[in-house]
Amino acid sequence: MKKITAFFLSVLLMSLPVKAEQAGIDFTKKLADDIIVNVLSANISDDEKLKIFHDRFKEDLDIQTIGKHVTGVYWRKATPKEQQEFLTAFLDFATKSWADKFNLYTGQKINFTGIQAAKSGQFFVSSSVEGNPPAEVLWRIKKAGSTYKITDIVIEGVSMVTSYRNEYVAFLHKNGGKLANLTQELQRKSQAFSFTKK
Amino acid sequence: MKKNAIILLTFGALLICGCAHKPTDPVALKAYEEANDPLEPFNRAMFETNMLLDAAILKPVAKGYRAVTPEFVRKGVSNVFTNLKQPGYLINSLLQGKGEAAYDISRRFFANTFLGLGGLFDVASDMNIPMNTNDFGETLAVWGWEKSEPYIVWPVLGPSNPRDTFGTGFNMALSTAELSVIHEPAVRYGVLALDTIQTREKNIEFIESLEKGTTDLYATVRSMYRQNREKKINQATGAMEEQSPLAYDFDFDDEE
Repeated sequence: MKKITAFFLSVLLMSLPVKAEQAGIDFTKKLADDIIVNVLSANISDDEKLKIFHDRFKEDLDIQTIGKHVTGVYWRKATPKEQQEFLTAFLDFATKSWADKFNLYTGQKINFTGIQAAKSGQFFVSSSVEGNPPAEVLWRIKKAGSTYKITDIVIEGVSMVTSYRNEYVAFLHKNGGKLANLTQELQRKSQAFSFTKK
Repeated sequence: MKKNAIILLTFGALLICGCAHKPTDPVALKAYEEANDPLEPFNRAMFETNMLLDAAILKPVAKGYRAVTPEFVRKGVSNVFTNLKQPGYLINSLLQGKGEAAYDISRRFFANTFLGLGGLFDVASDMNIPMNTNDFGETLAVWGWEKSEPYIVWPVLGPSNPRDTFGTGFNMALSTAELSVIHEPAVRYGVLALDTIQTREKNIEFIESLEKGTTDLYATVRSMYRQNREKKINQATGAMEEQSPLAYDFDFDDEE
């Protein structure tokens, strides 16, 4: 009896990570499909596209973790109010600039190929975008309650988070090291934003 | 000869004057070290010059090229230039000891040259022959020169490092040797110019989107160049196969 219980217990334990991994792939695939079908391929205005992108980014991106990381050593120098204002401006501007980049997508098929554990208890979901050679896109995700959140997107080796960090740390280094200055610049660029025309 | 020496000396002086000063403030020092760009003042000046040249000459010409040519013509021109780069890729694959890649590149070149009418049509992709790209910078990495600092921006040529500067020189010598079959210099330079214009035309929207989406274009380009180059070098040396996708891993909590 003990042997049978141990056998079923081990089968159950072995299947748990597999289920968690599949759930991570399913979450990422659904997010990519939603964006392609409901935003990029949909016949809607730029303003409507931006609104959907903003809602999806707010819901599916771990903006707190990303925002803190991309400001590097300057995060801790800012007050909680400045940090919160930065996160709002960052979400708004990142939504617009990534919506613009995604908008250049021309209908290539995305194949999801696997999942692998990363640091900080996170995962990398691998995918490749059709082409010759195909482009490698990695989605970094973390478990958030019963669902997942995106913490990074790596396209052909270029990490969104690392690029933002290198850019923002350089900006802050050149502009007095005040997070409020970066927030102001993001707000200014956000207001002047318009989609790149294909 | 004397002229070349003057140009080299001028660049040497500019590089020395263009070194960044190490800050003493601990926060600024951390940002300085993270950027890892000791030539930043020189690099930023070169980057600005390149962007001005692009805005004044290359971008308008690329837009003009798009305006006067139908898409199928631009696709054909792009295919021809991609095909012309295959012998360079083949030589580098052989220098890196990559037999399978060399075989695929040869198949692509012969399929597109003979069945694709001199490279005008990409029949090799329809035949599912994989595309391999590589350069002499990657070859030098395979031979052992894996890490190369400092980051440097050259006039006209753009972002690089010492290893990739040698690589670019070798690649340019290869292209020149290839184009030496064209005896008329004006035609030869015209072909080189057309390649630059058609490459810029393909990237009009990407660069525009990049410019709009950043607060510091220089820092963004530096970051993207380094990251993408690292991926290519890791792929060439085989490090990527052991690490992927963990090559991009980092700890989010390092600022706690």
